[in-house]
Amino acid sequence: MENFQPVIVAFCCHYCAYTAADMAGSKRLHYPANVKIIRVPCTGKVSALHMMEALRKGADGVYVAGCLEGDCHFRSGNTRAARRVAYVKKLLDEIGIGGERVEMFCMSAGMGEVFARTASEFTEKIRSLGPNPARVADPACTGTAC
Amino acid sequence: MITAERKSMEELINCVSPYRRLLLVGCNECVTVCSAGGRKEVALLSSALQLHFMKEGKPFEIKEITLERQCDPEYVEELVAHIDSADAVLSMACGCGVQEIARRFKEKPVMPAVNTKFMGASERQGVWAERCAGCGDCVLGLTGGVCPIARCSKQLMNGPCGGSTKGKCEVDPEIDCAWQLIWDRLKALGMTEKYEENMPAKDWRTGRGAGPRKIVREDLA
Amino acid sequence: MQKRSELSNKVLIVGGGMGGIRAALDLAEAGRDVVLVDKAYAIGGLMTSLDRTFPTNNCDLCTLSPRLSESGRELHIDLMTMTEIEGVEGSLGQFKANLTTRPRYIDLQKCTACGECYRQFPGCVRFTPGLDHRAPTCMRYPQATPYAFSIDMEACANVEELVRVCPAGAINPNDKPSSRKVEAGAIILSPGADITDLSLLDTYGYGVFPNVVTSLEYERILSASGPTGGQLVRPSDGKKPRKVAWIQCAGSRSLKKGFSPYCSSACCMYALKEAMVTRERFLENIETTIFYMDMRTYGKDYELYLQRAKNQYGVRFVRSRPHSIDPVFSDGSMMGDLNISYMLYGGSHPQTEQFDMVVLSTGFRISNEVKELAAKLGVELNEHGFAKTASFDPVATSKPGIYACGLFETPKDIPETLVQAGAAACCASGDLSPLRVVHEKMENFPPERDISGEDKRIGIFVCDCENNIGGVIDVKAMAADLKNLPEVVVSEAIGHGCSRDSLEHIQELIQKEKLNRVVIGACSPRTHEAVFQDTLKKAGLNKYLLEIVNLRDQDTWVHNDTPAFAATKAKELMHMGVGAVRLTHPLVDHTLPMNKDVLVVGGGVTGMKAAVSLADAGFKVFLVERSNQLGGNARNVRKTLEGQDVQAYVKTLVERAENHENIQVLKQAVVVDHTGLAGMFKTGVQVGPRMVYRQITHGITILATGALVNRPKEMLLGSHEAVLTQLDLDALIEDSPEKAKALESVVMVQCVGSRVEQNPNCSRICCQSAVKNALRLKELNPEASIIVLYRDMRMPGMQEEYYTKARKLGVIFAPYEIEDKPQVAADGKKVALTYTDPVLGRKVSVSCDGLVLSTGFIADEESTEDLGVIFHLPRTSDGYFLEDHVKLRPVDLPTPGFFVAGAAHSPKSIRDSIAQAQAVASRAQTFLAGDAINMGAAVARVDSNRCAACLICVRSCPFGIPFINSEGHSEIDPAKCHGCGTCASECPAEAIQLMRYEDDLIFAKLDGLFERTA
Repeated sequence: MENFQPVIVAFCCHYCAYTAADMAGSKRLHYPANVKIIRVPCTGKVSALHMMEALRKGADGVYVAGCLEGDCHFRSGNTRAARRVAYVKKLLDEIGIGGERVEMFCMSAGMGEVFARTASEFTEKIRSLGPNPARVADPACTGTAC
Repeated sequence: MITAERKSMEELINCVSPYRRLLLVGCNECVTVCSAGGRKEVALLSSALQLHFMKEGKPFEIKEITLERQCDPEYVEELVAHIDSADAVLSMACGCGVQEIARRFKEKPVMPAVNTKFMGASERQGVWAERCAGCGDCVLGLTGGVCPIARCSKQLMNGPCGGSTKGKCEVDPEIDCAWQLIWDRLKALGMTEKYEENMPAKDWRTGRGAGPRKIVREDLA
Repeated sequence: MQKRSELSNKVLIVGGGMGGIRAALDLAEAGRDVVLVDKAYAIGGLMTSLDRTFPTNNCDLCTLSPRLSESGRELHIDLMTMTEIEGVEGSLGQFKANLTTRPRYIDLQKCTACGECYRQFPGCVRFTPGLDHRAPTCMRYPQATPYAFSIDMEACANVEELVRVCPAGAINPNDKPSSRKVEAGAIILSPGADITDLSLLDTYGYGVFPNVVTSLEYERILSASGPTGGQLVRPSDGKKPRKVAWIQCAGSRSLKKGFSPYCSSACCMYALKEAMVTRERFLENIETTIFYMDMRTYGKDYELYLQRAKNQYGVRFVRSRPHSIDPVFSDGSMMGDLNISYMLYGGSHPQTEQFDMVVLSTGFRISNEVKELAAKLGVELNEHGFAKTASFDPVATSKPGIYACGLFETPKDIPETLVQAGAAACCASGDLSPLRVVHEKMENFPPERDISGEDKRIGIFVCDCENNIGGVIDVKAMAADLKNLPEVVVSEAIGHGCSRDSLEHIQELIQKEKLNRVVIGACSPRTHEAVFQDTLKKAGLNKYLLEIVNLRDQDTWVHNDTPAFAATKAKELMHMGVGAVRLTHPLVDHTLPMNKDVLVVGGGVTGMKAAVSLADAGFKVFLVERSNQLGGNARNVRKTLEGQDVQAYVKTLVERAENHENIQVLKQAVVVDHTGLAGMFKTGVQVGPRMVYRQITHGITILATGALVNRPKEMLLGSHEAVLTQLDLDALIEDSPEKAKALESVVMVQCVGSRVEQNPNCSRICCQSAVKNALRLKELNPEASIIVLYRDMRMPGMQEEYYTKARKLGVIFAPYEIEDKPQVAADGKKVALTYTDPVLGRKVSVSCDGLVLSTGFIADEESTEDLGVIFHLPRTSDGYFLEDHVKLRPVDLPTPGFFVAGAAHSPKSIRDSIAQAQAVASRAQTFLAGDAINMGAAVARVDSNRCAACLICVRSCPFGIPFINSEGHSEIDPAKCHGCGTCASECPAEAIQLMRYEDDLIFAKLDGLFERTA
């Protein structure tokens, strides 16, 4: 378990979190390579299904990162996303996967440090939770990266 | 619209666990509109069940399909192509849809994925409220357009009762007293004399009192 | 006079701050050529060093940076950094400017801003000095435009080694200063201002006590990209301060030598912002105190901001200007803590209070450099070095064809700067030759290849970005590996991907190998998507058949400490990109045919000025006025504070509007219905006493409906003849000067009906009206006793000097508290007034023969509500129209094609209304420049077969775009869709997909990540 490298999918909105990730890049702030970003125009685009499918397809953790509260470039996409994340958490608890595998974060475009810190902390959290239980037990799972 | 709510995952997992191949059927009518059993909910439930059974290490397949309307036999017929490859059917439609599939495919176990709740209206995005109990003898014309059967906790025909306080019902302070609403509306309409008329006791034979009902339109049938 | 067709089509803009950028963008979008000159090595000006901006308290980088790259990309803008003006010859329509560019020693075409030069030679690569230690990027801020460095060759000892270090070969030590002559029809000066001369702040111990900082330095401390990484620590010992004080007017509103006698206008708001952000972001128990003379929060909704600071954030306010700051000693050594000494109104002893840190709210002043520039250009300045402009022509300098905007005109905040920039752009384009329809710089792309029916042929190109990507992962090996994926025809490492050679190579391969999907592994799509899209277009491929994988910013830059993981992640990201690109399909940008006519609602000064400006530019304008005459509120004003004749101006403007061949004036006209979208609106109006209905078709709508003159039934107004409003007094002084002269004792009460619960905002014009009328009364009768009872005297910019003058002439100004309003009673023909004297600290009664109430404006709720409903436009809680972005888009309304100006936006003076009218005319011209409007391709599309008409999209769209059409399914107008995708993720029938971000495309990325790419 020490060497467990979780796969983490981060849905990041173009205007804030994705830009913050770029900012982390231009400042060369290190964070674990476990985090893979999928760019969306707004976190309002991320549905419960996107998060669930990311886990089903093999992610160990999923997070949605949008603009700070009140800063959404499309007015309210981030608050909607936060509500969906809460819904998915409940669903995951119900099916025994555990709601703590999904999370919502908010940051502004200038917050490269926050992006890097969030990525590191979330990765550590998932690492301590261990692999996605569905991934471990899936009989269809053959390779290491499935 | 008929409103419904997805059953708990625990119940759903229990009822599908004896089967390996599941046909999950949504409906593009009422349950889509109330976000309980449309294409999106079908996909989400499918994803959740698969994730669960992957965790359990149990081989499990789901085929998803959403019909235009599960309560019409012609649409249900579309399942013929898929039914043989499934061990059981899980329907996300209201009770009517579940029964229609069960009637058509007698050899397959059919289970409901949602609890059908009531006939209601959308109060706003994500909130639905009960409005009609299908009693078969509508009195809305006498009660200012507010139904005492569906919206009064006691189904009183001559309300309010003593449990009405500041416009709220004693059963739950979140519930508006239907008779208060009726009175306010009649007053606004200048029709308070309607309120003064005593309504006779409800004849439940038009409702469920005389057993399951049927409507036959001679000119159409 | 010269024919307009012989005039230049170019505008020279000096200064690349917010104002210059906005003016450049407005002009460029309207099809004009711009030369944008800045002496710094990156544009952006002062705003780029701010942490957050009021009143939204947003991080501004994210809103500013797209604007800057917009500016850098724009075809019409010739950006010349490190450049200054040597001299200008010629006149309006045909200026010739000599420009000199200092050597950057870096080839902008080649520099990738990798930062290698800075890492190895930090001493000779330029970045902003002072508190700014934003390593390793040494641009002025992380998203600088141009995205490149600048070398200080003199500081460099080993030039050869420096040149060698650059992986892109961009350093050219032989770079020379260059000169260039630029012809321009008009010139816009937006050189900005410097902050107060800090050496004069010695009484506050600035430069001596480390914990006394300027507001700009404090911004850097708060900034996430600042030297402390956004940690609030004080400079002396790195401790978190518990008590922070702001001292307002540090260097402004002072008659001390070297200081500015004028008000710097923006400092009250930014001090509030800093105090609120401090409370919000850092510690709950941190104390924030603002020492002030007047809180000048006169802008739109700024009063609410002040209330928020007071009530919600608990910022403490002390009305006093401290005289000195002393260090706190303990055992003979300085502790870093500071004592502020100050006097309170009515207090007989100085107070002393200890703080951990003191922020000086420094103001603006014009630098000698700018004064020299003005001299070179022959532009007259006032005694403080600000450009002289006229009352009714707020951006025109003394020299025809040269316009001033931003801080150079007078101290102001960002929204006002942007308004003036628009006004300057509007005036400048009026001096140019008429617009040519087809522009020579239009790029020609070959016709798009029809790829339907073709098998998928994917091309993968991986950029090594020199060492940035290639130094961490083996780009060639990865490219070779990716070649094995299905449908991949080409997979190559292409060296430096965005260089011209590589782009041409990609273009060739697309054509030669008949590629129909392209994946580029490179830097961020945020910055380079447009570049690669252009390459696809040049190769005859739809630009949306592209997926850019961010290998640099989100992989090799951040995982260079773990190269093995970086390589795995790079491969995974590429697989995601390949998975997604398979599902891309050609998309068209949505365009609309443009109707170029303009509807202006409201025939006051604002509406008329906007109408005339656009009519002069050749657009047909419908000017709709609900009353039976043009002129609006200005008809009731006689003189401005500066003494200009308002009626003469209004008369000329009315004549121009009514007789203009391009303007159709509709009086007694009311808007009754409205349909369509930007570029093709239809609006119904009922005209004349018989309410005849007619329909106007137009492309854009300008709302200039003004506000109402407030006349609250307070303080005997309307029931006692000695009680007047400032407007009444203005008329009395002009029409019956003998009566005005006879007034022996006058009391003026400010904020009557403004800054109160029913009308929470400041009416903005009342302080200057009171000072104006007090000065005129004093002129008529120097012996008259005049008392002005105020809450805060709000005399921004140069208006402060009139306030000073009034006090010199003996006008008494006494503040009152809102909880203790002056009491008024009739006293025969006189009025008895009782108020609490702030110095004596007790009630004082005066009997006056004139009680003048400053009643200001109140929103015209009835008409803004009606129009808001008809046009679907949002309003503020107090009934003014709500602009799209208070800071950056002050005259654009959120619905495309709608603009607002004048008092319908918020209370303002005639001069400010004129500036907004011109700004709106400028924004309108950008909109009307094209024959079609490009609405982009990322729009929601409804599958009508799946749609259950559930209304969820209708309810969840943040912009109210979807509707259920007559066929019973949801319809989303691609021209109105903003492309957020909220409806797509809410739709319970999965009937809506957002183009470019379809669900299957997102799932394909996930499959790619988990190596399930088919």
